Amino acid sequence: MMTTTPRLAALTAVLAALSVPAHAAEITVVGWGGTWDEAYKEGVWDVFEGETDHTIVMEEWAGELAKVRAQVQSGNITYDLVAAEAPSVEIGCAEGLFVPLSEEITGPADSYLPGTLHECGVASDTWATVLAYDKDAVGGTEPTSWADYFDVEAIPGKRGVLAQAQYTLENALMGDGVPADEVYEVLSTPEGVDRAFAKLDSIRDHIVWWNTTTQAVQNLSSGEVVMTDLYNARVTNEVQNEGKNWGIAWEAGFFYGTDMWAVVAGAPNEEAAIELVKWFSEPEHQAGFSRLYAYGTGRREAAEFVSAEQLEHLPSSPAHAPHGVEYDTDFWVENKEALEARFKAWLGQ
Amino acid sequence: MTPAVGVSGRRGERLLALLVLPALVFVLAVFVVPVARFLSLAVDNAELGLGLSRTVAALDAEPPAEGEVPGEAAFAALVADLAAARTAQQDALIAQALNQRMVGTRFLVIKTARDAARGEFAAPFKPAVLAAHPDWADPEIWRTIAANGGRLTDYHLLAALDLRRDAAGDIAQAPPEATLFRQLLGRTVWISVVVTAACALLALPLASAITAAPPGWSRVLFALVLFPLWSSLLVRTVIWIIVLQRNGPVNAALVATGLTDAPMTLIYTRFSLYLAMIQVLLPLMVLSVVSVMRRVPPSYMKAALSLGAPWFTAWRTVQLPLILPGLMAGSAIVFVFAIGYYVTPLLVGGPGDQMISSMIAFYTNRTLNWGLAAALSVQVLALLAAMTLTGLALRALARRSVPA
Repeated sequence: MMTTTPRLAALTAVLAALSVPAHAAEITVVGWGGTWDEAYKEGVWDVFEGETDHTIVMEEWAGELAKVRAQVQSGNITYDLVAAEAPSVEIGCAEGLFVPLSEEITGPADSYLPGTLHECGVASDTWATVLAYDKDAVGGTEPTSWADYFDVEAIPGKRGVLAQAQYTLENALMGDGVPADEVYEVLSTPEGVDRAFAKLDSIRDHIVWWNTTTQAVQNLSSGEVVMTDLYNARVTNEVQNEGKNWGIAWEAGFFYGTDMWAVVAGAPNEEAAIELVKWFSEPEHQAGFSRLYAYGTGRREAAEFVSAEQLEHLPSSPAHAPHGVEYDTDFWVENKEALEARFKAWLGQ
Repeated sequence: MTPAVGVSGRRGERLLALLVLPALVFVLAVFVVPVARFLSLAVDNAELGLGLSRTVAALDAEPPAEGEVPGEAAFAALVADLAAARTAQQDALIAQALNQRMVGTRFLVIKTARDAARGEFAAPFKPAVLAAHPDWADPEIWRTIAANGGRLTDYHLLAALDLRRDAAGDIAQAPPEATLFRQLLGRTVWISVVVTAACALLALPLASAITAAPPGWSRVLFALVLFPLWSSLLVRTVIWIIVLQRNGPVNAALVATGLTDAPMTLIYTRFSLYLAMIQVLLPLMVLSVVSVMRRVPPSYMKAALSLGAPWFTAWRTVQLPLILPGLMAGSAIVFVFAIGYYVTPLLVGGPGDQMISSMIAFYTNRTLNWGLAAALSVQVLALLAAMTLTGLALRALARRSVPA
């Protein structure tokens, strides 16, 4: 006993020294990886680490809510803060996987753009799925509508299409002449769903399907396709940083969605993660990401901290916003399984 | 005097058991138990069977007339069930389970549960609930709840076979636009069979060369076969995209040599999927075949040939039966691996080349429908079990038919 006690005391002292300052935490933040994560690190996390005692450990995922559910159910939680799609935040919040956030943390609700604040989440970024094309490959006729996208005679060449029902059925209906703001009305009826599938059928042999964003970018780069549906910032990123001669047909109509930061309930650093969300909710801090990556922010005032030139690339810019419609989270939460199963069955025919 | 081959007798058995024990405990703890728990989700109906037990009981006691909404008792039970579920944070799971069986009910359940837990409904409950959430006036919801009571369910197992129960409770085919899984299972088996056969055909000459070559060369060849095993699966797979794409080297060569006029579509096809899978799985087959071939003395073939048998006859009747165990073992390994392929079809296959694991991953990760994911896993497991049993039975038959 005589020998162990001093050792124990020494150990405690060392541990105490290591954990000073008392509240410094290692917050595990789970993002979407790739260039998205790089922009977040440079524009947001590094600034946070500079201003506080906390450190950020970055991990990446593909938005699999199952991982959060499994961690919470097993009690072995490693994620503190995750970036999740709005439908996942909706489901996770209802299941009690995420911590509800008060206005004291997020700032006043009316300062947020529609759809960018949730009971359990603050917008990490607002992205749009746009019609992107290679200006050199379309041969002088640049597409201006989703009807052009489905017209393989006017503009020959293969089309890249995301291999899932969500997002793709919306584009198909726009291609069939449905105005963007009426898409969900049509898609809510069985005839509307048939109509979307029929439209996809019409160019079936001209489609190159993609599953990951990297594939979509690669297919457009290599000439496998002449145009593709893609997330807008990925297009801007390739144009700004890789010198690609690509265009976005904003006027064709586009849908936008919001990913959100959500704090995992019972996470080891739950308090620090909430502190991080509170810090991030300041307009200036939210703008840190949009300055580097052409996705929108939650709070309106954040736009004041983004350069006018970069604002033009965002889905929320005055030139683009009139063509955009928000993805219907509730529709997809209820219909996802049934429509994706039908989509997979159709793909396999 | 008995030769000392290992330890014999009761003590030996105990020692043997002791040696196996750690592996056994390990396999039980990290494999059998968790997998069994997950698979049990295929028939588990806790969400509706337990979560809505009072409602189901009320509907059983007082079944509503055809096309009618039930009476006060069922509504009172529903409010009690949902309030309790909300408090226990189970309401979202009930909502998900009901939405799987009847699309469009998810938010109805969640919102009603929220109101019920807040005590916003007072007796009589039927008009109160209907006033706040008129969608409960749809008799179909109540029929769905009544039909899905009970602790266990065959819903997911049937769904995994494109079957469902109709309004009368009989098993019926799913509508054609929703049939998916039988086709997917057939495709998965077919792709795995083709890949296994191709690996076997490619491995035989390769393994012969490795066994016949002088030791130095044999080692080099062997290393070449093993080399792909040491690189990441993802890298090996993605390389095919670069090699086979429209402006890739293969297409450039085809056009340059005039074999084709325009670049061909090579990537994202069944062809590219086969290529990528065979490349990844071939080493496993070669390893199994080589290990058996090395034990067959080359003099056997020479003897058969010198006795006048044509080469193929000699190979078929002398060499093949001796290396068959290795070929069978290799095929079993390759086939089992191939059945579970998921990343490779996703990356280099087309949409018509996706295999069953991709749907298991989809339901597990994306929609959190672990019941259906478990049912599909049960399907794959049952398939492998059936194939193993068939294989064993065939072997037993073959042994018996050998003349004594």
